[in-house]
Amino acid sequence: MRWNIRRPASSFRRRNDFWRRALFERARRRLCDIDMSLASFRWTTCRFGKRAGWLAIGLLAAIMLLAVITAPNQAFAHAALVTADPADGTVLAQSPAQFSLTFSEPVSPLVLTLVRPDGTAVPLTSFRLNGQTVEIDNPQTLGSGTHVLSWRVISADGHPVGGSVLFSIGAPNAEPAVSEAVDRGLRSAIWIGKVFLYVGLFLGVGGAFAIAWLAKGGRSGQRFVIAAILCGLVAAPLSLGLQGLDALGAPLVRLAQPGVWQAGLGTSFGWTVLVALVALGLGLLSLVGPRGSARLFALAGLAGVGAALAASGHASAAEPQWLTRPMVFLHGAGIAFWAGALTPLGLAMRRKPVEATPFLRRFSQAILLVVAVLAATGIVLAVIQVQAPAALLGTAYGQLLLIKLGLLFFLFTLAATNRWKLTAPAEAGETEVQRRLVRSIGVEMLIILAIFGVAAGWRFTSPPRALAIAAAQPASIHIHTPKAMADLSITPGHVGPVTASIVIMTGDFGPLDAKQVTVVLSKPDAGIEPIKRAATKRGDGTWRVDDLVVPVPGRWTARLDILVSDFEIVKIEAPIDIRR
Amino acid sequence: MNRYLLSAGAFFVLGTSAAFAHITLETQEAAVGSTYKAVLRVPHGCDGKATTAVRVQIPEGVISVKPMPKPDWTLQVKKGRYEKSYQLHGQEVSNGVKEVDWSGGSLPDEFYDEFVFRGTLAVDLPAGQTLYFPVVQECDGVAERWIEIPAAGQDEDALEYPAPGLKLSPKK
Repeated sequence: MRWNIRRPASSFRRRNDFWRRALFERARRRLCDIDMSLASFRWTTCRFGKRAGWLAIGLLAAIMLLAVITAPNQAFAHAALVTADPADGTVLAQSPAQFSLTFSEPVSPLVLTLVRPDGTAVPLTSFRLNGQTVEIDNPQTLGSGTHVLSWRVISADGHPVGGSVLFSIGAPNAEPAVSEAVDRGLRSAIWIGKVFLYVGLFLGVGGAFAIAWLAKGGRSGQRFVIAAILCGLVAAPLSLGLQGLDALGAPLVRLAQPGVWQAGLGTSFGWTVLVALVALGLGLLSLVGPRGSARLFALAGLAGVGAALAASGHASAAEPQWLTRPMVFLHGAGIAFWAGALTPLGLAMRRKPVEATPFLRRFSQAILLVVAVLAATGIVLAVIQVQAPAALLGTAYGQLLLIKLGLLFFLFTLAATNRWKLTAPAEAGETEVQRRLVRSIGVEMLIILAIFGVAAGWRFTSPPRALAIAAAQPASIHIHTPKAMADLSITPGHVGPVTASIVIMTGDFGPLDAKQVTVVLSKPDAGIEPIKRAATKRGDGTWRVDDLVVPVPGRWTARLDILVSDFEIVKIEAPIDIRR
Repeated sequence: MNRYLLSAGAFFVLGTSAAFAHITLETQEAAVGSTYKAVLRVPHGCDGKATTAVRVQIPEGVISVKPMPKPDWTLQVKKGRYEKSYQLHGQEVSNGVKEVDWSGGSLPDEFYDEFVFRGTLAVDLPAGQTLYFPVVQECDGVAERWIEIPAAGQDEDALEYPAPGLKLSPKK
């Protein structure tokens, strides 16, 4: 095997360990011939484009919808911290020059802070993104004691994730009191904002659609629909500010600061708000604008509702994107059709039962298809998100889904009764049945509002899909000594049966054709004897251990015994963190 | 306190028994420039299995090596170039034995044996340092490699399979 890697000058190598790693990484790829092309990732900052004329707005909505559905096909998931340097719990002899955080996917840092042993916080502003790794410059020499590297990043699904890494210089002191405190006030505000946004989109824009397409001239419920749209028009921008606060981990009182709004706009939720505002505007226009184009505006508005929802959130961020985004779009538009029609229909039935009859007929003709689409898309998304049935009970996300399914069961029972028992006699003009139908529609509305509340609660949970991705992340270390270096990955990086995969090279980036590689895992503080397993060589040049079980989580010492030749053995070791 | 005593006791017991189990040299100190008779002591097999081969790598600076044959064992040497040339009785020596193999025998786990060779410690070897003779002990299908050399500052007792060492003393 020929090696084309230039050896850098030794003094430079020592100074710039990072560069060595990069080189090593490159060499390793050649060695393994593994195509590890990382999904490229770009953070687009949303800005208001040219002010589009109202006439072009329908077109704009269509383009946005297309862009949202087709453009982002990067690998998106919920980000999780994979490794940190210094690792959590490390005791360092000297102040590090830089920190690095590696995530399960590319992220964008929002807030990076270093909390010193005396409790004072230093903002870390100088950082670079390198694939999935965030490299952060340490601006000052750190004194002895325990420091906290607190990070808050945003992943592509638009949800901020935060955490802390504790490390000490010299010796640890008492742990500083730093925690990822939950801001209940802010959470409630975000939740309320989301519910009101749903009211605006589903009841408002959906209602406008029902008035334009189903009521045909009937104007019952128009005032309610306008009120709902206005409600959404207030909630949408407010939600953006709240998202910004959450992104920065800032308290509610900072809502007025422009930076907060910029942060909110910078997340994928920014797109949701922009598209939602367009959809709400279109809905409003269909009600108060020229009659001739009301139906067109209403249709564009309904499409905008779907697009707004498809632009951000857990479900839209899930893989495969070509499936999930259109599914969310259809699901959103379907909800708007159904939920939006209920209030105008109910009010029309109560006030002008005769005029309401064609409205009811059209609605009941279409609703079967819409519910079928809702159920199909809902099931597909739930399967993608939850993955295993056990996660329904075991995770907060699954529990919310169960509550939603329970509410849906009531809703479908009511809707089915309405559709198959009450609709025909009501259309025939039976007053008593019409009254029952109106009451039933009222109850349906309440259930739908409750479902909005539950769905808004998902904002604060991680779907089992994302949790599974995080759990499956390997624990990886890089060991570099003058005699040999190695990359060791333990997959998955948590307790239980694991696979260890090792790539070895000489200390100066040359190939290392070892006769034998043995992995030794030890954890003296847990009273566990070293676990020793001989690795087998794979065709791709990596070494592997399959029959390995890591019994307890925490910091282990991983040692690699590399038999270079009959009479020469190289032992290298480093700590590795195994998750629970 | 009890824990200290216990661990100290454990260290003593384990430490000594481990030392007895290693392959070692009978004479562990010799002067540079002298002729050295190396006696490799093999106290047991590999995990209870009988020893079938003993191979020793001759370190750089040990020249003019001659092994002693053993009945029932096949003796072989591997020769090669030294890293540099040495003066021996006024003559320049630049190649010689690099590895000695005794194979084809059978030394049961419960018996003890010695494997002997002789060589000259070159004058320019650094006195005060330790010279290591890595040994591979082969049994039926398995091998124990007494080849670990302590890193600078590392305690030899911390090694699992230390190579037999010879402390070099100044020329007499």
